Amino acid sequence: MNTQVIEKNSSQALEAPLIARDIHKSFGELEVLKGISLTSRQHDVTAILGSSGSGKSTFLRCLNLLEVPDAGELIVHGQQVRFKHNRLGEAVPEDEKLVERIRARLGMVFQQFNLWSHMTVLENCMVGPLRVLKQPRAEVEARARYYLNKVGLDNRVDHYPSHLSGGQQQRAAIARALTMEPDVMLFDEPTSALDPELVGEVLLVMRKLAEEGRTMIVVTHEMAFAREVSSHVMFLHQGLVEEEGAPEQLFRQQESERFRQFLSTNF
Amino acid sequence: MDNLSLLAFGSDGWGDELLSGLLVTIQLAATTLPLGLLIGFAVAGASLSSHPWLRRFGRGYTTAARGIPELLTLFLVYNGIAMLLNAVWRWLDPEAGFVELSPFIAGVIALSVVFGAFSGEVLRGAFQALDRGQIEAGQAIGLSRWDLFRFIKLPQIWRFALPGLGNLWVNLIKDTALVSIIALNDLLRMTNIAVGATKKPFTFFLIACAAYWLLSILSEMVLARLEERANRGVRRA
Ligand SMILES: Nc1ncnc2c1ncn2[C@@H]1O[C@H](COP(=O)(O)OP(=O)(O)O)[C@@H](O)[C@H]1O
Ligand SMILES: [Mg+2]
Repeated sequence: MNTQVIEKNSSQALEAPLIARDIHKSFGELEVLKGISLTSRQHDVTAILGSSGSGKSTFLRCLNLLEVPDAGELIVHGQQVRFKHNRLGEAVPEDEKLVERIRARLGMVFQQFNLWSHMTVLENCMVGPLRVLKQPRAEVEARARYYLNKVGLDNRVDHYPSHLSGGQQQRAAIARALTMEPDVMLFDEPTSALDPELVGEVLLVMRKLAEEGRTMIVVTHEMAFAREVSSHVMFLHQGLVEEEGAPEQLFRQQESERFRQFLSTNF
Repeated sequence: MDNLSLLAFGSDGWGDELLSGLLVTIQLAATTLPLGLLIGFAVAGASLSSHPWLRRFGRGYTTAARGIPELLTLFLVYNGIAMLLNAVWRWLDPEAGFVELSPFIAGVIALSVVFGAFSGEVLRGAFQALDRGQIEAGQAIGLSRWDLFRFIKLPQIWRFALPGLGNLWVNLIKDTALVSIIALNDLLRMTNIAVGATKKPFTFFLIACAAYWLLSILSEMVLARLEERANRGVRRA
């Protein structure tokens, strides 16, 4: 099948590195996403809120194609991803190489860290830039060390993940994503698997990234973080955006009764 | 003759014959290993495929190859493949004489078929033990399928599979002795010949034991080193 890449003009790509329109996704009979749209402009920090099972992770995973949307439009860095259906009727991307290029532009941080257990922290950070971006080793190593330093792991570079605390592992995972120098950082509940006393160190790193103007999309249950750091808040309910807007408004006054209840139980 | 001169190299002693037998045994095992592993990977891949026919083939192969005595597999390969070859040969050239399959090649094929079935099961288990999250992290960073396999999956498959493969390797060394039956001059066959000529079974069988032990002990030392390396980053429980 031929590849259809629509090159938007680069100024638009720079303005909005990620545009998702009307994303739908079902697992068998279960319709998990019923049409969700999101435009992530440069320096936007979008917080995605919602109770468990509302489709937050699925939506985030659709953005870097760990899940393939059944319908909708996805434009990353000005390039539109096209889908087709395979013989089993599943949605698959038309162009796998385009998917790999898009993923290289989106950094993903998982709830369970997912560091590669057979590599040191430094090696974890270097694999992507070496193998995907095919950059020279010396340059990659210098950049990996720079970001590891930034997340406060300069004295842990040669440790294996299993010898780090959860908070350190998550900071290493953030450094791994940063070393790719992505356009957008995606976070899926990055502090939910951490012991309470380790949450702060990870949120601090994320705050610093937001202050530097990184474009971020963050699924989180940390309401203080969403209120203070984000520029846009989306509240998902059963696969739809129930309410969204600027945090200073949304946290003061809610249209949706459900969102109000959600906030009262999560603060 | 005293025991030491029995082992001398040269025309009166049996040292050179035994040593050549040992070398055949090692060659047989060392040739089988990569071929058997290749079959093992293919069978594991087939068993885990999303394609139903491939899955059936993988399971069928495993059941068939594990289900019969290895000696029978050896006879099937030695006689069966020779017959097949000759049928094809004569069809191509009706004047051709009878060709015999080399016992070494027959041995390697039979042992690889069996090693492939058992290692396929070990590798399938290792594949299934892979952490989904770590694979997703590799996809999410943009690794191609092949790079994901090389840099993320394979080192961890190796780690999970190494103890089981090590076991199979030690078994393989011993199973090479089966080929002495199809007239391949391996260690056991040379030992038997020496026993027949000297009527000193105890001496020579003990020497054969020592040689096989030596191979296993060396193998286990190498395996221990490999496991230590493969388990880097794994926390001891
Ligand atoms: N791979 C999958 N197969 C089947 N159902 C899934 C899969 N992933 C998620 N789901 C279902 O989709 C719904 C939304 O899940 P998820 O996006 O993980 O929600 P959230 O992250 O908001 O908790 C849940 O009901 C979940 O069980
Ligand atoms: Mg989730």
